[in-house]
Amino acid sequence: MSSSVHGTFVSEKINKIRWRPDPFDNSHYFITGSVDNDVNHIKLWDFHENQEEDDIYPFLVSTFPYCGDVTEIQFLNADYFVTSSSSGSMAKIRLYENDIATVGEDGTINLLTAQSQNAVRTIANADSSSIHCVIFLKHNEILTSNLRGQMKVWDLRSSSDKPQSTFMLSGDQVTPTSLTYHPTQRHLIIAGDDLGALTTWDLRQNTYPVNVLNAHEGAISEVQFHSDYPDHLFSCSYSGEIWHWSAKTDAVPLIGIENNETNVWLTSDDVKSKLEVFTLMPTLGKPINTLDLNRNKVICGCDNEAIYLINGITI
Amino acid sequence: MSQLNEKSICENKPLTGTVSRPNRGKRGEITEDAELSEGEIRGVRVYVVIPNHLCRRAGIAATWIPIDQIAIFPYEKKHMKQKDCPSQFASQSVTSVFHLRHSVILFHPILRKLVNESFGVFVSLQNLSANKPIEHRLELLKLSRQYRSIIRACLENLQEEITNSVSDNADELKNYVTILYSIECIWHLCEILLIDVGPGNIILPYLLEWVRFHFPKYERNAATLFGGDLIGLESHPEFWDTIIGLLLQGRINIVRALLRQHSASDSNTFKLVDRVLRAMPVYDVTTGTPINEFIIQRQHWLIDVQAKIDAKLFVSDINLNMIMKLVVGDEETWAGIQRTRETWYEFLAGWLFFTEPTVKPFELGEFAKNSIEKMKMKNRLKQLDKAILAVLEYDLLQVINEIQSMTDNGWFVSHLTDLLYHSGRLSNLEQEISSFSAKNLRESFVLNYGITLMGHKSLWQIGLSYLDHCPNNGIHAIELLLPRIPLENEAKTKKIVYEAKQRNLNHIAQSVSKAQGVISMNHGRLGNALTWALRSQDGPFTSFLADKFLKEYIKSGTLVSSDILEHLGSWILASDRLIFLGKFYEFHKLYQDKDYRGAANILTSLLSSKIIPKYFWSVLLLDTIPLLESEELVFSSNDTFTIMHCVEEKENLPELKDKVEIIRLAAARNLSRALIFEAQLP
Amino acid sequence: MFEAQELSVEHKDLIHDVAYDFYGHRMATCSSDQYVKVWDQNSDGRWTLTYSWKAHSGSVWKVTWAHPEFGQVLATCSFDRTAAVWEEIIGETPGPGERGTRHWVRRTNLVDSRTSVTDVKFGPKTQGLQLATCSAEGIIRIYEAPDVMNLSQWTLQHEVQCKLPCSCLSWNPSLSKMHPQMLAVGSDDSNTANGGKVFIYEYSENSRRWTKLETISSITEPVHDIAFSPNLGRSFHVLAVATKDVRIINLTPIDDEQTLQSGVTKLDVQTAAQFEDHNSLVWRVCWNITGTILASSGDDGCVRMFKMNYINSWKPVAVLKGDGTQGNADSQRSSAISSIGNQIVPPSQTASLHLHVFSENNAPAMSQPIKIVNAPHHQFDLFTRICESFNNSV
Repeated sequence: MSSSVHGTFVSEKINKIRWRPDPFDNSHYFITGSVDNDVNHIKLWDFHENQEEDDIYPFLVSTFPYCGDVTEIQFLNADYFVTSSSSGSMAKIRLYENDIATVGEDGTINLLTAQSQNAVRTIANADSSSIHCVIFLKHNEILTSNLRGQMKVWDLRSSSDKPQSTFMLSGDQVTPTSLTYHPTQRHLIIAGDDLGALTTWDLRQNTYPVNVLNAHEGAISEVQFHSDYPDHLFSCSYSGEIWHWSAKTDAVPLIGIENNETNVWLTSDDVKSKLEVFTLMPTLGKPINTLDLNRNKVICGCDNEAIYLINGITI
Repeated sequence: MSQLNEKSICENKPLTGTVSRPNRGKRGEITEDAELSEGEIRGVRVYVVIPNHLCRRAGIAATWIPIDQIAIFPYEKKHMKQKDCPSQFASQSVTSVFHLRHSVILFHPILRKLVNESFGVFVSLQNLSANKPIEHRLELLKLSRQYRSIIRACLENLQEEITNSVSDNADELKNYVTILYSIECIWHLCEILLIDVGPGNIILPYLLEWVRFHFPKYERNAATLFGGDLIGLESHPEFWDTIIGLLLQGRINIVRALLRQHSASDSNTFKLVDRVLRAMPVYDVTTGTPINEFIIQRQHWLIDVQAKIDAKLFVSDINLNMIMKLVVGDEETWAGIQRTRETWYEFLAGWLFFTEPTVKPFELGEFAKNSIEKMKMKNRLKQLDKAILAVLEYDLLQVINEIQSMTDNGWFVSHLTDLLYHSGRLSNLEQEISSFSAKNLRESFVLNYGITLMGHKSLWQIGLSYLDHCPNNGIHAIELLLPRIPLENEAKTKKIVYEAKQRNLNHIAQSVSKAQGVISMNHGRLGNALTWALRSQDGPFTSFLADKFLKEYIKSGTLVSSDILEHLGSWILASDRLIFLGKFYEFHKLYQDKDYRGAANILTSLLSSKIIPKYFWSVLLLDTIPLLESEELVFSSNDTFTIMHCVEEKENLPELKDKVEIIRLAAARNLSRALIFEAQLP
Repeated sequence: MFEAQELSVEHKDLIHDVAYDFYGHRMATCSSDQYVKVWDQNSDGRWTLTYSWKAHSGSVWKVTWAHPEFGQVLATCSFDRTAAVWEEIIGETPGPGERGTRHWVRRTNLVDSRTSVTDVKFGPKTQGLQLATCSAEGIIRIYEAPDVMNLSQWTLQHEVQCKLPCSCLSWNPSLSKMHPQMLAVGSDDSNTANGGKVFIYEYSENSRRWTKLETISSITEPVHDIAFSPNLGRSFHVLAVATKDVRIINLTPIDDEQTLQSGVTKLDVQTAAQFEDHNSLVWRVCWNITGTILASSGDDGCVRMFKMNYINSWKPVAVLKGDGTQGNADSQRSSAISSIGNQIVPPSQTASLHLHVFSENNAPAMSQPIKIVNAPHHQFDLFTRICESFNNSV
């Protein structure tokens, strides 16, 4: 099945887009958050499939005005999601079940839970540079990355306001712009950066990258593994590219993706030869800020004030 | 090109430029400049009144506000030589500053779709002509149709919004609809006459198609008539009007179908009319019929119909008689229906269909003027009329003159001029008119449009791309405008830096990075400021920040934000002060890790370097004391000489006043230890 | 159509100058009441006064912003014979997301002039932090802050005698470090027998001196304002002059043998345009950011705009004038109160302005309602709502 692209102009730049989780894994609802508007919005959309015309278009279900730029959206469950805003000094969030970690330009880490209005814990001045990304490694461990490319692991049980360990993305002060972990092997971390490269670590081994892939022309705005098919990775960039990375079938045995030996992302040499890259859309020429996946559907939001659905991705 | 005389313009002053608005009484701020010379594109002159007493009494002055606004304030020149005393207006009235900006309709959410979507087509067009020669009519036609379908989609969106919304801005939306309808109408005609030149110079079928598209009323009426009760259809008030309308659009078959629904359709007169209409020869270029053959056929048919009219075969029905007189082009009858026509161009298309079916493109202008004359419209031409007339006359400069004053903020004129430029149509004018440059004309519009978009919080990136396609001045405009995009947060700053680097504007990237660094510094985020300072490659700024770290250390005894000093790598070379700070940090860390020998090594190398800030000498010298006194011998005799030398040099520092002797003593003791130790070495 | 926003600036006398920062989000005003005020535009578009202080002991003629790379810095000049540099200090931030207290402090007071300081301008940022002043006694002074991060230390680098009283000055805003620095100065000396009233100076790196390149002899009437145009990629410099009319002068450096040998630029001076539209003395000239439109104001009480068309000729494009006799009535004011979205705009924040269109031959004016946009207030309780929903059901 070949993929098809459906674009819709939405009159605002989309900074974050997220499928609503669906118990049957067949989402058609999604949320967008905008940026650079006088009044930004959080919008809930529903994709209508028109069988006759073979067309799919998003139908606006509901709109909320939003103060500041929407910097992150994460679903807690099918009915609740959390968002972060640039008005509370640019912030990003990550979830672990109901635990929420937020980081921001003020270099502060806040830990929240969905049940409480107040921060459970605040690490003020955790970083002297702006923190741009955060992910949970375990329920009590987070990884942050700052403007200078310093990656810091924080043990949340520790009362110290110092990171447990620090390592660098590269020696060249490049900023990681998106962090993600492997769906089944959480110690495998991939960072997309300012210069369009993807760097992989195996945090069990050490903090030296396993491999570095020079990928996009511009900064990588978001990178995500396919949650059901971890051999597939998706990335989008400021240069308007959206790519689908997949392990070449001959490089990976059909069974045993849990087997570390065969995890293609952990190949240290010549990883590029083991991967295939597909361009999902013709290059836009304007940054693609965000993407999200659901089964064989990818949605992305862009600076040309449009959202795109790419349907029927070959997995 | 046509010369407009000044008087008519003055008379038109409050009313010109109003066609695109339904409620023309409310408009009129746009008047036109009377001066026109050959090859010149007329500017639009705007008059605005600031409703303020003080502004009236004192006079006003203006200051520009970045990027695209202007401030007006009451102003009276005070002569420098006068005595400095309060003005006559002091404390009397409230002084106000007025911030004015063009209301840009393109920034309405629905029109933003038009802006973004048409940007895609614009880029395709630039790529097309960059890669291939411009002789690609079909490609150009495709792009032209894409533009039109975007306009159409936008119109539909607006209509939908008007129907759905109860909002009070329906008038505003209707105004947009009117503007876009005008644009669509002119664009379509330009496409027919200028882009999609059909085979054999046959233009009429396209012209009819254009009229049908923009006057769908009659077709819709016919559909309504057919959809309703068919018995006694002629009693419907719209019946005959619809028939005449369709006839003028060349819809002979529908006319016949309607006539067959007339209750008298079985009468001989009706049957005869049907036969006449069915027999009417219509030129179809695709059948390959030679044009002369068609003309002869038509002559025969005309003579036949005229004979029937003369024989009063149709007089039993006044309407049928009129229809027959219309189809043979009877001047008197045509004159009779003029006043019922909405526009002269609808009239024109019908007239040509029945009297000049083989009209050549270059003849259109004359016929158009005749139609205007016949309908006595000459002094009542609105902007849309003038634009259409100019297109029919193939007067491209006049077309551009007319459409540039439409209130769509330059969307239409930039995109159409660009399309015409790439089709090569404008270059032809260069031979005709001296001092005319198609390239510069195109660029002036695209540049203005790009600058307009640069003034918008969200559309600035689209604006940048338009400026990218201005080969003369685009990059300079970007240089002036890009650094002025407000730095709202680091994500925005990074996008601005990215756009600057994309265009090799490294000085802009650096300047923006520095401005972001200054913002961080003013928020007390020294570490972050230093990161941006490094990116800006600004040595003095980096040094200034390094100084702040050092001075903070003197004050508090701890190195703040020390994580910033790790992993600096080669970036540390950005400034001497940063090198010093980095080295000092290293010293500090080794000392804390109790690696006294390592710490001592760094300290000595620092003391013998030439990069110690004046204010930091005392700190460094005092830091030697514990190391000189440490159990382990860490300074060699040479090191100790270095220290002693420094002490001699700096003994007058006030901060060291009572410490000099202690350092000297410690150094002397260390020296003796070192000398003894070194003497024991083989 | 224009949208206008009216902002009462609360000065006790007429304002002499309004200046906007690099991004157009901050405004400084100065007045005969000896005060300087700084205004900030909120994220919702509203302007609020953030600081106001008595800056001088005489009328404050001019106020100007430094490039944001140097921080938040203003310079002013006054009848009191001084010029001053001011910097904004941000106090401790009370909490995340909140703004610290802000105030402006005088960093330096430049007291070298013995007469009224008539103009003050920061130099192009490529040359570091420089400040030029000119005065009624006819002296141009160039100051420099050797350490751009320390605004309290300024050294008087150059004093250039102009011989005639100076009324205005302008730096050539060249973006390139390659060009020598250039200044234009105007004199409001009323004796036409004294010759040209506009002088062009250039700094020579070799001699480390400012030298006069040119006296524009075609302008002998008093000059009240002068402004170099931002350079949109041209090989020549464009200077606007406010004198008895509006002049636009092109200055083209000549690259001949002689110039190369002497190292002193020679200029070809051409009058590109001359507009007598004001029909009276012209007080001020001001370029837009891209240097494509010139706005002038004159004794006829009008602001006039001139634009260069695509074949490089200048044309008048707009006229603005003040009129207090129509519009602005209370009835219109109240009619403009409307609900925007889910908030009601407080009546005091809204004013309806009618911008009237007029024609100069006194044809009946058409009234054009202008939209006064005092941007709506956005206070969204979205976060609260989300939190509440969590508390209720999670």
